[in-house]
Amino acid sequence: MSAATNSGIKRSRRHIGDHPLPWLLPLILLLVTFTIYPFFYNVWLSFHEFAPLSRSLEYVGLQNWSQLLGDTRFWQSLSITLAYFVVALTLELVIGMCIALLLDADEPGFGLLRALLTMNLVIPPAIVGYMYLLMEDPQFGVISFVLQMFGLVDTSTPILSSPSLALAGVLLAEIWQWTPFMVLILLAGLRSLPTEPYEAAMIDGASAFQTFWRLTLPMMWKVIAIAVLIRGIDLFRVFDYVFVMTSGGPGTATYTLSYYSWQQTFSFIKWGYGATLSLVTLIIVLVVANIFVKFAKVRW
Amino acid sequence: MHGTKFARTIRFIAAWLLVGLFFFPIYYWTSVAFRNGRDIFSRPPKIFDFEPTIANFNAVFGISFEGGVPQITPGGGNFYMAPRLWDSIVIGVGSTLIAVAIATLAAYALSRMRFKGSHHFVGWVLSTRMLPPVAVAVPMFFIYRQFNLLDTYTGMIIIHAIMNLPLAVLLMKSFFDDVPNEIDESATIDGASRWTIFRRIVLPMAKGGIAATAVLCFIFSWTEFLFALTLTQTDVRTVPVVSTTFVTSVGTAWGNMAALGAAAILPAFIFVLAVQKHLVRGLTMGSLKQ
Repeated sequence: MSAATNSGIKRSRRHIGDHPLPWLLPLILLLVTFTIYPFFYNVWLSFHEFAPLSRSLEYVGLQNWSQLLGDTRFWQSLSITLAYFVVALTLELVIGMCIALLLDADEPGFGLLRALLTMNLVIPPAIVGYMYLLMEDPQFGVISFVLQMFGLVDTSTPILSSPSLALAGVLLAEIWQWTPFMVLILLAGLRSLPTEPYEAAMIDGASAFQTFWRLTLPMMWKVIAIAVLIRGIDLFRVFDYVFVMTSGGPGTATYTLSYYSWQQTFSFIKWGYGATLSLVTLIIVLVVANIFVKFAKVRW
Repeated sequence: MHGTKFARTIRFIAAWLLVGLFFFPIYYWTSVAFRNGRDIFSRPPKIFDFEPTIANFNAVFGISFEGGVPQITPGGGNFYMAPRLWDSIVIGVGSTLIAVAIATLAAYALSRMRFKGSHHFVGWVLSTRMLPPVAVAVPMFFIYRQFNLLDTYTGMIIIHAIMNLPLAVLLMKSFFDDVPNEIDESATIDGASRWTIFRRIVLPMAKGGIAATAVLCFIFSWTEFLFALTLTQTDVRTVPVVSTTFVTSVGTAWGNMAALGAAAILPAFIFVLAVQKHLVRGLTMGSLKQ
């Protein structure tokens, strides 16, 4: 920070507050205390483990890390998190784009439709989890009832306690809540596109499909990249829906990394191992997101 | 894109149907708040044909209609949640004030002053937004325990303010970037200090942006689950966390839970509508301007 002396304006005389440090100091202090410190605390904790007998943390060396590599539950939760991430991101993006294209018109009432979609974003995800828990109830749930009517699920297979369907049941809540996020962002992107290329394409007789692939998609690239980045970061840390809907079950069918790590720490008092797991989650998110930022040239 | 009348009609119907499908769970959940147990636990599930009741709101907030007069009777019942709504409001407002104040200062510097590594600094702020809450919550739990911050307003306000700082900084920076730098420059020539320019000129010009930032910070605090679950116990409980207490060993009090949920959604929705103009910019942390 010592080199940070110059303000943007040519300095004819010194003014109070020309140096950026005083402006940034509160932010730096808070962020360092509450992000850098927890990070190193996690690293330290990952080399220790809570010993029930002595009721204290004992140094265990690399034990947590070697345990991690051989832990089938960890690999399972990693693949579940990845599956959740890929399916949710793809569907939210595709459905979101379809709805955005549909709403990209000056029809009466479309403003109201946009406003209705924003409602999903302000509901606490934990409450959305419960909404879907009720609606997916095998006996009284609306969704289960409709699926049973079409013969898609059996009356005897509750969605959320079936190993093969539970993750889909959680994903339903996820996709319902966050597709509107994609719609709003993509719609804003669509609305700000220039009209001239479309007029030219129409004169050339391009089909709607060609216009979308050749014009809309390339012009929307930046918008899509930002939407994917922000949603992707949150998807990788999914916790709330799993916690209220399935608690990771049945068996381990819906264990996500965040949930697994939380459970090791707070339910099983494996503080060191829980910290190791959360550290791995953190590293994956940071690495993947930063590569994406570089690759997609997202800028702030 | 002006299609034929037929195409327009199709688009119109499809849009309403799809959005209606997305709206249905909200309608259903809100309707559950106005049902008694018999109409919740029915097969086939009832959609519109239930007997409306405000018993759930009575249990959760003490609201009743005695002889046609609305009354609020505080206290009473295991599921009396008005104090929990208050907890959520205190934490939401407190953390928003701190986050916006600190972010506004930092964002002004990042928008106006060029210094070595300022680009990396923005990148660092952004990457703190990527931290998984669970990786922060675990160490925070031990730190809070040491400093007696567990289960307190202060502790929750601090953690929610931190959580919202990256968003608030990047968003405010984008709003300050909208205020032309020439205004600062001409004021500097007139002899005004940075602080005066910031307080008297730039801040008032960005007040719409500040409002939008504040609303988003409030909503993210209002809906946050993991920190509140981990760092509170009994004295302080936010709405999302306290929803879990409706699940009991003798069954789930869906009606009561839905009443709390409906009451939690409404104010947040009104706030968002008030800043709808800036919503997409907020959701993308300032990187997309509408």
